[in-house]
Amino acid sequence: MRRLLAALAFLLLCAPAAAQAPADVASDLPAGVAEDSITVSSDYRGSYVTVFGVNPDRRGRGDIVVVVRGPNEGAVVMRKRRVLGLWVNGDPVRFSEAPSFFAVLSNRPLRSIASAESIWRYQLDPAASAQLESSTGDSDPSDYRAALVRLRRAQGLYQVYAGGATPDQRGGLTMYQGGLFRAVVRLPANAPIAQYQADTYLFRDGRLISAQRIPISISRVGIERRIHDLATKFPLFYGMLTVMLALAAGWVAAFLFRRT
Amino acid sequence: MIYLPIAEMPVNVLLILLVSGAVGFVSGLVGVGGGFIMTPALIFMGVPAPVAVATGASQIAATSFSGIMTQTRRKSVDWRMGMLLSAGGIGGSISGVWLFERLLRLGQLDLIVSLLYLLLLASVGALMLRESYHHWRGRETQGVSILRRPIKTLAHTLPFRLRFPRSGLHISVIPPLGLGFAIGALAAIMGIGGGFILIPAMIYLLRMPTNVVIGTSLFQVLIITSLIVILQSAATQTVDLVLAGLLMLGGVIGAQMGARLGAGLKGETIRGVLGALLLAASAKFLWDLFVPPTERYVLGGGLW
Repeated sequence: MRRLLAALAFLLLCAPAAAQAPADVASDLPAGVAEDSITVSSDYRGSYVTVFGVNPDRRGRGDIVVVVRGPNEGAVVMRKRRVLGLWVNGDPVRFSEAPSFFAVLSNRPLRSIASAESIWRYQLDPAASAQLESSTGDSDPSDYRAALVRLRRAQGLYQVYAGGATPDQRGGLTMYQGGLFRAVVRLPANAPIAQYQADTYLFRDGRLISAQRIPISISRVGIERRIHDLATKFPLFYGMLTVMLALAAGWVAAFLFRRT
Repeated sequence: MIYLPIAEMPVNVLLILLVSGAVGFVSGLVGVGGGFIMTPALIFMGVPAPVAVATGASQIAATSFSGIMTQTRRKSVDWRMGMLLSAGGIGGSISGVWLFERLLRLGQLDLIVSLLYLLLLASVGALMLRESYHHWRGRETQGVSILRRPIKTLAHTLPFRLRFPRSGLHISVIPPLGLGFAIGALAAIMGIGGGFILIPAMIYLLRMPTNVVIGTSLFQVLIITSLIVILQSAATQTVDLVLAGLLMLGGVIGAQMGARLGAGLKGETIRGVLGALLLAASAKFLWDLFVPPTERYVLGGGLW
């Protein structure tokens, strides 16, 4: 029952995200990803996502923006305050939806490509993608929004790049001759294992001309998958299995200890 | 490097084995479970706190079971007392797991855990240092308090008295139940076995003879930690089987080495060093709680 509710909640959360694909623009932007399914096995240490494509404009006019998004989920940001000399988490602000992973890449700074209004409308910025759940009283939500982005950036979950990849960066968007472009994003190991989307946008004179959405799936394979499935589908059995393992380890240790 | 399926992060296998081995070594040396060092160490290495607490419990279950195997051969387990403590402990750990989930949702788990660790590490560290200091000064303290134990305590005056032949006691069932409850709740919230609180409490509160105390406390710790692993698996799904396996491996090997080395070393010296270490660790918790943070905002509710 609980799992059913969770699944329902997941669908409800995902629905608005899917509806945000801009309907009023063309989708003739040729683009693809090099890794459309990423597998997580026991040696997983993060991955790269490479999005490539061609600017359909023959004269190469316009700007390219690539956004790699993880699924939206709820988030809570709290502010520490002083209570009896102790620093205590307080004043929570809940975001009903915030991307679990968000990387935006563009050939030049986003603000000079798209207007602030389009950035919010198409959610090209991590701050623009976070939706507040409720009114927050006297605390300023924009501070919280900035804090959410800052904290997630520190974790490597939100990334913003303008221009090509440089040696000190872990990603970037490079333009080549003939309108060819290539965007590379480092997906850290702490990024959630889920369905991702790579969205490619073509802007000209601050207006969105064309857009394309490509799904990327990240999934567990092998022993990682078996353990995770067991833990989520048969939690009670999984717990007992862990206890059995503990007892076996203890028994072996005691046995070896007596022998030597 | 190996990727942990539940913690969803890669860890260095050697580092985990080294840390769990070191913790096991210290616990074997001093004769404590070591959960109160292991859990903060895991959190410090970046393992999410809920995973560290729930998974650490499985490692404690492994070490306490291997301890019981040895203690049963010496017939030093008071099963009746152990059952009673465990009955209290089951209630305690169920409420502990429930409280853990509540606090996690409220975003106050780290505060409560920090405060509890601060109090616990500071008091245990201070006690150990004092004991070893007194010994160094040449005063005999160990035997005195046990010899001086009064015949009657609260445990003897409360109703529902029961006979415990192995311990040679005839006391009320309320104190053991209450003690078990408190240890169970602490264990569920903090990811500790609780042996180092339980043992002094059994000696000073229940007046149990020292030869059955260790075996009996191990029995209660085993029951409670096993239950916590199962409950946390069902309630929060934060038990990481791969991490648990690594911790058990490092922990039991370290504990055996520690126990063997400990036999040839002066207990007071070890206790003094460990006491100083625990005080230093508690100072770190104190610092984090009182010094103004550079980042005033935190992301809350990992399971939200």
